[in-house]
Amino acid sequence: MKINGVYIDDTFAEAFPMKATRIIITAMNLKWAHRAANALRGFASSVIACGCEADIERELSPSETPDGRPGISLLIFAMSIKELEKQIPMRVGQSVMTTATTACYAGIHDGQQIAMGKRLRYFGDGYQISKKINGRRYWRIPVMHGEFICEDTTGVTEAVGGGNFLVLAKTARHALLACEKAVEEIKKVSGVITAFPGGIVGSGSKVGSKYDFLSASTNEAYCPTLKGQVDSELSDEIGSVLEIVIDGLDEESINEAMRVGIKAVCSYGPKKGICRISAGNYGGDLGPHHFYLRKILK
Amino acid sequence: MNPLTFTLKIQPKFTLGVAQLTPDNLAGLSKTEIKSLKLPYGKNKVALDTLFSVTGSDSNNIQINRSCDKLVSVGRNMSHGTVNVNGDVGKVLGSYLQGGFITINGNAGSWVGNNMSGGRIDINGNAGDHIGAGKPGDTFGMTDGMIKISGSAGDRVGDRMRSGMIIIYGKAGDFCGSRMHAGTIIVLDKAGKNPGAGMRRGTIILVKKPAHITATFKSNGNLKIQFLRLLFTQLSNMGKEFSIFKKFGPEAHRFSGDLARNGKGEILILQTLDLNKVA
Repeated sequence: MKINGVYIDDTFAEAFPMKATRIIITAMNLKWAHRAANALRGFASSVIACGCEADIERELSPSETPDGRPGISLLIFAMSIKELEKQIPMRVGQSVMTTATTACYAGIHDGQQIAMGKRLRYFGDGYQISKKINGRRYWRIPVMHGEFICEDTTGVTEAVGGGNFLVLAKTARHALLACEKAVEEIKKVSGVITAFPGGIVGSGSKVGSKYDFLSASTNEAYCPTLKGQVDSELSDEIGSVLEIVIDGLDEESINEAMRVGIKAVCSYGPKKGICRISAGNYGGDLGPHHFYLRKILK
Repeated sequence: MNPLTFTLKIQPKFTLGVAQLTPDNLAGLSKTEIKSLKLPYGKNKVALDTLFSVTGSDSNNIQINRSCDKLVSVGRNMSHGTVNVNGDVGKVLGSYLQGGFITINGNAGSWVGNNMSGGRIDINGNAGDHIGAGKPGDTFGMTDGMIKISGSAGDRVGDRMRSGMIIIYGKAGDFCGSRMHAGTIIVLDKAGKNPGAGMRRGTIILVKKPAHITATFKSNGNLKIQFLRLLFTQLSNMGKEFSIFKKFGPEAHRFSGDLARNGKGEILILQTLDLNKVA
């Protein structure tokens, strides 16, 4: 199968179950909401070492937020509810509460609840106030900028992590330009994030390593500098491979994100250095969710 | 299905207890069984059909027509469904309410929603004293739910309330929010003397300066209260009957107290409004 002259491998991306929540950050203006959101999603590219994967889902207009101010919606994924319970208060406390004029609300209300304001309220040192509106509990924590409002809990939902595709190109510049376009298109799909910096992975990994203490290591089959040295997946013309990893609230949204992302990459074509599209899988051992490239693109 | 409708045939001379007329109590009863229910009437009990004509069949939606202030305990202990009353009602409307929706198209007596723990009561008229309060001897008043009064309310609104919300579009009497433990009271017209006297926690939001604030409240100055922005946005999203809250901003003069009870409650007097327009 070829799209615009770009060969699509007959393979699948392998994804695994995760737990996710959505939180909404509001502030005096979008600039400060972005600052809080960017702080929260810092060091949240991969569960391999960050504990969670997080990114901005989209900007929210004042009419879409609980307090009528501009806001940002973020999705946060982790391998277990226990890990989310650890990450959410820590990240909201250190990144959102410390940002001037912000407030933090749950973006998912159903499902199992994990503590957010419920844990952070103690920062109020006894001066915190609980308020219940429409059945939802909020904490008013007095802070130096005024009041930090934080919803008591946020809901957790089943999610899918690790949807992906590989962009095989002549040079890193070619791959990066096409991937940037792909991430731009993926951002238009709701319910998905690309948690790596800029949405693009420069050092895609395989599961395991020759070293016992490492759970993931470089994916040598796709490393251009190891062509000829290992059982490489790369032909002579390919000089760079980038990966786009997608986490989503369900399979359908990942399907859609992969479809628009791959099409965006293919629109660059061989003339702009794009040679092949492939995907990362581990023979079906890693996770139950399999996204077949050719099926998605039909 | 039409609502199960009870229409008063005569105006009762004595107090008439209608606590049984709730979706919880009437579910599964035949019309004959409903008509033969015994209702407390003064010192006696009378069969329901001697005072009411009964039509309709949907026991989840109950309507009472030609009501008057002799009807007491409307919607008592109800957990779901709706009760709509056309006319006035007497005391203890919606006491121990756990869920569901009660609408009164008329005035209500005292002790509305006392000890309620959920649900909503809308009174399209005035209400008496002790709205959402606890009865004498109770530790707490209402513990959750919402009471909305389109008109004015009497004294001691929300006395000892533990949680929930009371919104009064008209005036409130003296000692509004007295001895509150938590919860929110909003008064959109003038409140009487000593709001929040003895309150430990909770929020009283006033659009106009009250007649008098006790000396045991301390001014925290004029502030932008972030919570008000959240509250008013959430309320104005609840329907057009709450659209007035779109006009309100977060600026308020905050008083904290009651310090006589080591209280951490607050009275917020909104600052940004043209009060003449609101009234």
